[in-house]
Amino acid sequence: MISEAAVWGIIGLPLAAGALAALALLPALRPLARASGYAAVLGVAGAFGLSLAALDSTLGADRAAGFAARSWLTVGDPASAGGFEVTVGLLLDPLSAVMVALVSGVSMLVMVFSLGYMRKEPGGEGGAWADYPRYFTYMSWFTAAMLGLVLAYNLIQLFVFWELVGLFSYLLIGFWYHRPAAAAAAKKAFIVTRIGDFGFMLALLYLYLHRAEFLAQGANPFEIPDILAVAPLLSAGVATWVALGILAGAMGKSAQFPLNTWLPDAMEGPTPVSSLIHAATMVAAGVFLVARMFPLFEESAVALNAVAIVGGTTAVLAAAMAIVANDIKRVLAFSTVSQLGYMFLALGVGAWQIAIFHLLTHAFFKCLLFLTAGSVHHSVHTFDMRYMGGLRAWMPLTYAATVIGALSLVGIAPLAGFWSKDEVLAAAWSADGAGSVLVSRLVFVLGMAAVFMTAFYVFRLLLMTFHGRFRGGIDAVPADELTPDEAILAGHVHRAESPWVMLLPMAVLALLAGVAGVALNAVGAFGPLPAHGLTHFLGGLSRDFDQGVAGLSTALALAGIGLAIAAHRRGVLGLTDLPRPWSVVHRFLAGRLYMDHLYETLIVRRLLYRGLFFAADWADRRLVDGTVDLVGWVGRNGGRAVAQLQTGQVQVYGVGVFMGVVVMLMLFMFQR
Amino acid sequence: MRVDFSLLLPEMLLAGLGFLVLIVDLVLPQERPERRNKAVAAVAVAGMAAVAAMALATAPDRTESVYGGLLFIDAYALLFKTLFLGVGIAVVLMSVEYVGRVIRHPGEFYGLIVFAVLGANLMASAGELLTAYIALELLSFCLFVLVGLTRGDRRSAEASTKYILLGAISSAVLLYGISLLYGTMGTTVFREMGPGLAINFSPTVIVGFAMLLAGIGFKLALVPFHLWAPDVYEGAPTPITALVAVLSKAATFALLLRFLAEVSTGRFDQWQLALAVLAAATMTVGTLTALVQRNIKRLLAYSSIAQVGFVMVGVVAMTEAGANAVLLHLVGYAFTNLAAFAVVVTVEAKTRKEEIADYAGLSTASPLMAMVLTAAMFSLAGLPIFAGFITKFYLFTAAADAGYLWLAALAITNSVISLYYYLRVVREMYISEPEVEPERIRLSPSSAGALWVLLAGTIAVGVYPGPLAAAVDAATDALRAYAGGA
Repeated sequence: MISEAAVWGIIGLPLAAGALAALALLPALRPLARASGYAAVLGVAGAFGLSLAALDSTLGADRAAGFAARSWLTVGDPASAGGFEVTVGLLLDPLSAVMVALVSGVSMLVMVFSLGYMRKEPGGEGGAWADYPRYFTYMSWFTAAMLGLVLAYNLIQLFVFWELVGLFSYLLIGFWYHRPAAAAAAKKAFIVTRIGDFGFMLALLYLYLHRAEFLAQGANPFEIPDILAVAPLLSAGVATWVALGILAGAMGKSAQFPLNTWLPDAMEGPTPVSSLIHAATMVAAGVFLVARMFPLFEESAVALNAVAIVGGTTAVLAAAMAIVANDIKRVLAFSTVSQLGYMFLALGVGAWQIAIFHLLTHAFFKCLLFLTAGSVHHSVHTFDMRYMGGLRAWMPLTYAATVIGALSLVGIAPLAGFWSKDEVLAAAWSADGAGSVLVSRLVFVLGMAAVFMTAFYVFRLLLMTFHGRFRGGIDAVPADELTPDEAILAGHVHRAESPWVMLLPMAVLALLAGVAGVALNAVGAFGPLPAHGLTHFLGGLSRDFDQGVAGLSTALALAGIGLAIAAHRRGVLGLTDLPRPWSVVHRFLAGRLYMDHLYETLIVRRLLYRGLFFAADWADRRLVDGTVDLVGWVGRNGGRAVAQLQTGQVQVYGVGVFMGVVVMLMLFMFQR
Repeated sequence: MRVDFSLLLPEMLLAGLGFLVLIVDLVLPQERPERRNKAVAAVAVAGMAAVAAMALATAPDRTESVYGGLLFIDAYALLFKTLFLGVGIAVVLMSVEYVGRVIRHPGEFYGLIVFAVLGANLMASAGELLTAYIALELLSFCLFVLVGLTRGDRRSAEASTKYILLGAISSAVLLYGISLLYGTMGTTVFREMGPGLAINFSPTVIVGFAMLLAGIGFKLALVPFHLWAPDVYEGAPTPITALVAVLSKAATFALLLRFLAEVSTGRFDQWQLALAVLAAATMTVGTLTALVQRNIKRLLAYSSIAQVGFVMVGVVAMTEAGANAVLLHLVGYAFTNLAAFAVVVTVEAKTRKEEIADYAGLSTASPLMAMVLTAAMFSLAGLPIFAGFITKFYLFTAAADAGYLWLAALAITNSVISLYYYLRVVREMYISEPEVEPERIRLSPSSAGALWVLLAGTIAVGVYPGPLAAAVDAATDALRAYAGGA
């Protein structure tokens, strides 16, 4: 049994390491900038060690080890009706133990990779390590916030860390804040996720308003175990509304349709940041939250159907957008959105354990793919696949890693992605969740369609980047498409493999992306590995391997790969000069379904600026300002008038005392 | 009647400490005033810390009383004793530099602070009116002298004179009130007065009670008994202003709250309207007058009047939640106000300036002091993550739950208005351009340490009030009206 202090240490170590790294921001300690990176890596490595210990302790007899919640603040009088305590505490159970191990482990690998990646070109301002302190501070604190979110015992506590994750993702996406695109992307990520968070907040408010139902059961309305225990007893509607509010928050963080628009733009951050945020942490938070609150969702077929439909739609739409993207990181970003759709799909059909399984395997292969993208960029200094090609000639190791990641993502046996994706689809096909059967079948079809599209865009990425002939890297990019930062790098293409600090994390992740599927959740007992190890560990669900589903999905994947290779042979993989009507579809997808346009022009400009805001502005000027001015006027003049009493005369002061007695007597009479 | 004197050991030791401080000052060589000052302060601080530790260690685990109910030794008294000793330590620490420059006899200064703390401790323990009166006078006399201790300063002398004169008037009123109550009921012990006070509405009781409240209102600077406060605050040596603002008010609240909770067991709402009107008038007048102040000490004086009004909102509720909120606010307010005064004292000791406009450029002269004062101002205004937010939240909810929605609404309105003058100080420090390039102010380790501790306390109460709330809850459970609550 792990001690409570050790579990707090999982959050505390990255927090402390971040504070230590921040010290190097002081001018006097500038020379220590390089050490700040190592401090951060050590902090998160310590957290990873503790996470493994925590995971180990939940493998034992007492699996769920919630620690005594401490009173944070009390609302009302706890003894009387309507009063309760808001607590802080740690909830360590198989789900959170798996998540902390994943988050801290991936974060550690990404930070090691960053040691190489965040080194500036020599001769830059402030030396090669000038970016280190700020970068590693944000990264450490981001990791700490994410770990705190996962371990939270109380929904309000979870919400605090949820918002902290949002804050640090804002800082990380806008890390290169002097670039307008990065600043705009950070702002967009913050605002779009905030729309979802508003739903989350409404759910919290709704819980508060219905606290009587919890208190009647002797439960606390915000403590997660209590909510889950009381969920079956809640009156109709309460579970649905709370679940839908939580779903809104999860959709924002996990970039589900229609709140998906922020994620592709968020690629403006440093590539390791994209890798961390978009593979294992921030976007996974939404999936985690729904999985965490799953018993509540299970009480509401409406909420479950909503989760499934949101997931299925997102999986297909994002995959379609990934097909037409030319920026390697954007392809991966759309792919992330699409894969998160799969996870929501799994949640919606009632298989939350499988959603977590897919979250794990996806974390490995997607993190790997992002790191390979960073590695490629390190060589050719551009992310645009149209100017790559043939890179396998001098980057054989990066190429090999990409192939493993790609096949895993497509879902080719026996790589990790195959097993988890197959279980998601099998769960949808069997339709034995609490949601409607029709919806399960519908999202099964959507999921299958996405398999085909995934195979195509992944191999498009692989072929355009590593095969064919080299198309010049950054030197070939037209000068008017380069930002000033990129223009500096023109002419610096070096045809060489990346340094070992970058290759090592890739190697670890490649191994995981290969074997994690079998190792974690083998479909049958396999050597020392138990059958369905992970899903059993998380909570008992196991499903037999469905050969029909697996065969169909593999066939579709191979068809997608075949189509990509055929297109490559004919040299049309760039998807330019398409015949009508395909060119229209292409434009529509490349414009990201014009969702940004819709949001900005129609909703923000027309509806809000000209409609609501205009009315609000008028009311604010006429009504609110008027009232405020009045209060201010009263305040100023009242203050002067009252200050007149302050004459400095003792006699007047003495009279005041007796006046007071008289006034009190009069008030007493009045009350009688 | 056998009296267990061991229960009174902390008070006896504290009295002994007061004399010890005076003696140490006398025996130490006169020619090195700087070292003598520091040594005397060190004795006072170490002694008060030791007494606090002893009081906590020897506290009985159930309510004890001595002299047949004259003094209570319970969790309620213990909480306040710890608070008052902490306040005493903080005030001594923040005044070392100030005393070195301004005051000639450090022994008197620190010794009287120790005696004032003793008086405050007894007020929190008192279970009978005359005992309470004597304790209150012990505190008051120490303060009268301390206010006038900067000899040769006309403002200080004027403040002291006014304070004594008005203090005498209010004491007379208070004593007259006590005698009227005694005359009707034949007792001055809180618990024995209860039944009579709740059913007896003869004019003598009413007038007596009103006069009692007036005397207490004077110590609290409730409107309209507040007129002395700004003059005294401005004229007194600044550390003593802090003592008046924090110690004397908290002690009086301790007394008032115990009195109200002991004489009644809930049915005591005839006076609630009078108290509510006093609270409303106090916070409104305090807030409005603070808007037009230019001197930082006068600003803090009116701000503390407004704060007392806010605390009264919790007293008016007359519920356990209200009492808890009052105690919580007093602790948070002690940290916050001491933090603010620690900065004001240090700035005055270093630059001899006390106008708000003089704070321009403090953020470059001393980033730590600017940060602490900003935190204190935010906390007083009631902004989140600082103590003031959470404690005001409890105060106002307690009043609203007790049916005083209008009072809670007025309190919130006043809170919002108060933002203006608190933020003005922050604006001066960070935004206004100073006329002359500010010189860097170097802080002594003791001042810097005190500032950090007070800042940490201000934030800790705001971020994680759980443990404090539990202690406060245990304290109010010791009072008769709220006994047995969770």
